Amino acid sequence: MTDEKLLETRDIVYYYEGNKKPSLNKVSIVIRKGVKTAILGGNGAGKSTLFYHLNGVVQPAEGVVLYRDTPLSYKKKAKRELCSHVAVVLQNPDDQIFGQTVQEDAEYGPKNLGLPMEEVKERAKRALEQVGLWEKRDQNSLQLSYGQRKRLSLAGAIAMKPDVLIMDEPTAGLDPQMALELMELAEQLHHNGMDIVMSTHDVDLAYMWAEDIHVLRRSEKVYSGPQEGFYADRELSYSAGLLAPSMFQINTTLSAMRGVDPAPYPHTEPQLVAKMVPGKPRGKMEVLASKGGFDQGYIDSLKSSGKIVGIFGTEIRKHISSNNIMVDFFFGGFESCMSQLLDGKDSVIICDPDCIDLIEGKIKEMSAFGDPIDYTIGEA
Amino acid sequence: MDTLAYSSRMLDWSPLGKLVLVIAVLVVNITVDSLLVTFVTLGIGLALMAYSTNFKIPFIIFLAILEAFVILIFGAGVISVNGMDNSLVIWDTDFLWMHFHMTVDSFNKAWLILFRGTAGIAVMLAYATSTPIPHMSLAMKQVHMPVELIEIVILIYRYAFLLLERMEAMWNAAHSRMGFNGFRTYVGTVAAIAVGIFVQSTNLSDKSQIALECRNYRGYFPVFSEPAKMGVKWLVVIIAMAVGIYMFGKYTEGWFDMAHILLGV
Amino acid sequence: MSLLEFRNLTYSYNSRQKKPSLDNVSFKVEEGRRTAIIGANGAGKSTTFYSFNGIFKPSSGEVLYRDRPLIYTKEALRELRNDICVVVQNPDEQIFSSTVESDVAFGPMSMELPRDEVDKRIDSALAMVGMSEYRMRPSTQLSYGQRKRISLAGALAVRPKVLILDEPTAGLDPQMAREVMELVDELCCTGTTVIISTHDVDLIYSWAEDIIVLNHGDLIYAGEPEEFFSDASKTASAGVARPHTFSVNSYVSKMRGKEEAPYPRTNSQFVAKMAPEGTVGGKIKLVPVGDTVEPAHFNGHVGAYGYSAKKALKALGIPIDYEFDALEMCMQDAVKGLDSVLYCDENMIKMARDRIDSLETFGVKAEVIM
Repeated sequence: MTDEKLLETRDIVYYYEGNKKPSLNKVSIVIRKGVKTAILGGNGAGKSTLFYHLNGVVQPAEGVVLYRDTPLSYKKKAKRELCSHVAVVLQNPDDQIFGQTVQEDAEYGPKNLGLPMEEVKERAKRALEQVGLWEKRDQNSLQLSYGQRKRLSLAGAIAMKPDVLIMDEPTAGLDPQMALELMELAEQLHHNGMDIVMSTHDVDLAYMWAEDIHVLRRSEKVYSGPQEGFYADRELSYSAGLLAPSMFQINTTLSAMRGVDPAPYPHTEPQLVAKMVPGKPRGKMEVLASKGGFDQGYIDSLKSSGKIVGIFGTEIRKHISSNNIMVDFFFGGFESCMSQLLDGKDSVIICDPDCIDLIEGKIKEMSAFGDPIDYTIGEA
Repeated sequence: MDTLAYSSRMLDWSPLGKLVLVIAVLVVNITVDSLLVTFVTLGIGLALMAYSTNFKIPFIIFLAILEAFVILIFGAGVISVNGMDNSLVIWDTDFLWMHFHMTVDSFNKAWLILFRGTAGIAVMLAYATSTPIPHMSLAMKQVHMPVELIEIVILIYRYAFLLLERMEAMWNAAHSRMGFNGFRTYVGTVAAIAVGIFVQSTNLSDKSQIALECRNYRGYFPVFSEPAKMGVKWLVVIIAMAVGIYMFGKYTEGWFDMAHILLGV
Repeated sequence: MSLLEFRNLTYSYNSRQKKPSLDNVSFKVEEGRRTAIIGANGAGKSTTFYSFNGIFKPSSGEVLYRDRPLIYTKEALRELRNDICVVVQNPDEQIFSSTVESDVAFGPMSMELPRDEVDKRIDSALAMVGMSEYRMRPSTQLSYGQRKRISLAGALAVRPKVLILDEPTAGLDPQMAREVMELVDELCCTGTTVIISTHDVDLIYSWAEDIIVLNHGDLIYAGEPEEFFSDASKTASAGVARPHTFSVNSYVSKMRGKEEAPYPRTNSQFVAKMAPEGTVGGKIKLVPVGDTVEPAHFNGHVGAYGYSAKKALKALGIPIDYEFDALEMCMQDAVKGLDSVLYCDENMIKMARDRIDSLETFGVKAEVIM
């Protein structure tokens, strides 16, 4: 959590296509480096124009947009620069497919940036691997399923290697499993330096994920800051068309009834469970880094010693699915393993090597809700 | 243009009535050679436009009007220097490969056409800014044009909106991925957008087919509230105006001689 | 009584498919039971809907409506589609006319109803979705949420016996989503059987009485939700997540050494179950709203449940604390020991009472005052 400003808008005003009323009315937002941000409220048109202000595609009628404290110059070269730093992924994947095959589409952005062909191919490959579409690279991009097209549009943005990735309704239309996988990828990307800004109507999703939120109401911004400050003001959240997330409602109600402090506020299921049942003896967690290279036998040996096995990370996920290895929790691994751990069972998370400190961070967050979790880090 | 039409004060006037009125006025304009008639028609057109839209025209449409006007001026200019009659010659010269021969008659004719054109544009705009396409197609229905044709027009109109939305979305998405960076890229992107819209439209039509069946489509789209029919009142007004303008025109033919006014000839 | 039934139904789009879209599927949908169809994308949910209303004819097996097999003649299908309406997820696929009015009129006019009946139905359908002021607007000027409501109104105007909604809350902000579900509740209370398909597991768990789970064309489960969600591996292999109230209840009950049953399906039920022993519930004054309404003089938050209730309170100038999700909010207040007033559409009173009374099974009794 830093104070370094990545993107900022100051009182921007924008009129959509000859309308008298602005679709953005003096909107001021600061997006800070390393802070998971969610944008809530407002309608579709307002939000997507806001995104296009952030990557310079659209210029405001009034107000300023700044990238790293420098006001945007809307000259061609500067716009080009900015688009390679700030990527936008829209809700509808079909609006963002520009290549005939999956690989061509992933290469579209880097190619347009004028990068050497080798690097273009490398970036496309990496991006497609991260979203799990590398095996389908020669398929016709428009013939993929909806979930695959959504992942492809994400790959196209990742391939630009932006500093900031703005996603509009990233989980809309996805079934729960794919949604959880996508959120895991978003976490991984964010952890590895690609700041993620998410826009959604799903208050529960935002509550689980974001550190900072910005709330739009019609064409204005009505709140910026931590989520609790917003939802505690019921009138404010109501007027923005939003309802408080279930976890917030449950926590504040139960805390009031038990006469305990609603803080610390649990944002995920295991955190809520930990707060509700603080005293129970907990299991231990083993975090094992792996690049793949294990088989079902290894998993079975872990399970036979009574451990619950979950996974985290795109590499591991790829390894597991291509080798048909069965684990206890294929998606939502960390949360489910943590809940089991609270019930006294030992669990194991096998994760990508670059996710070790991410997992550590999540474990440390749990310690706000009772005794610290006992864990070890190792290699699979 | 459509949004403008839906907010017009003349929206609920009979679309057929408006159409016939416009046609009648334009025809009369062409049959008489009086500049005064064109002024009157221009006045009518502007008055209707003022009533219809308060002259609040989106910039793009204003540009289109300006473009039409420029073409008109150019056309009138061409006519003015191609005089092929026996009246007094005002200007005769050669320029590059062209020969300019301007006579009093051709000069006057050019002005007549310029004013007629302007009046025509004004009157047609008054119609267009007060009659959205669905109303226009219903006017067609009232004159018993084939229903299939009308439905095609309405469907094209409806889907055009949807596809324009998609095109705009794709345009912005392409911008975000540097799709317009250089000529080759530009062309490639435009092609990709065309393909994308085509595929999306075929998908949409496939799914709409199913939705139509779900809603028990019986082969036609029933209309619930039809706009006002063109009644006797309209007919009377139109005939009166046409006759009135015609007679006024015949009476005032030659009153304004532009060559005489501007050049003293 | 069994309203809709699949008997060994198999359906393939074309012969080249490796696996049929629906493979030997059999289940029943009971009349009046709130049913949800869930499953990963590609599981066969849309195929199921279009088999219900006869658009897809099965390759083998039968579809039965009211215990009679579907007849696939033009006439019979037309009749059927007046009884069974499907509202697809994307409103742009089913709004065809240029104005709101003509689009909503489409259904009733296809039924060849007299003009004033059509007019009445347009009025009531638009009122139910809260779009009455938009009657003469062109459809191109509507926002996504408004278009979704119009596509719903189009189906309501047909007054079907079975209403099938594909992702009715997708793309809507939380308040609008709640409004749609409230409307669905109202329809359920007035005799329409509603079937919903959605990815929102929490929504399903708090709303549905029966669930049907599909996976790659196979029927994985049909019945009450708890049995399905208790089987973690079945849930996971179907690509479905567990509802949060179910999941947290399961863990916490186990950890406290208590019974998992009764299973709380809503936040208020969950909080009631987890409430400290001896919590005294608050009171809820239930005020029916019909053609007339008597304002209640009662201390506590004011909730409005149902379209007529909201309209009535606004007309009376009574400020509403809970405009969205009012029933649930008042129930949460009751569990907290607070009193509240709930103005509720007449025909939803019984449902509201039943839900409030259910809190007692979870440990906190909320007193209902009529």
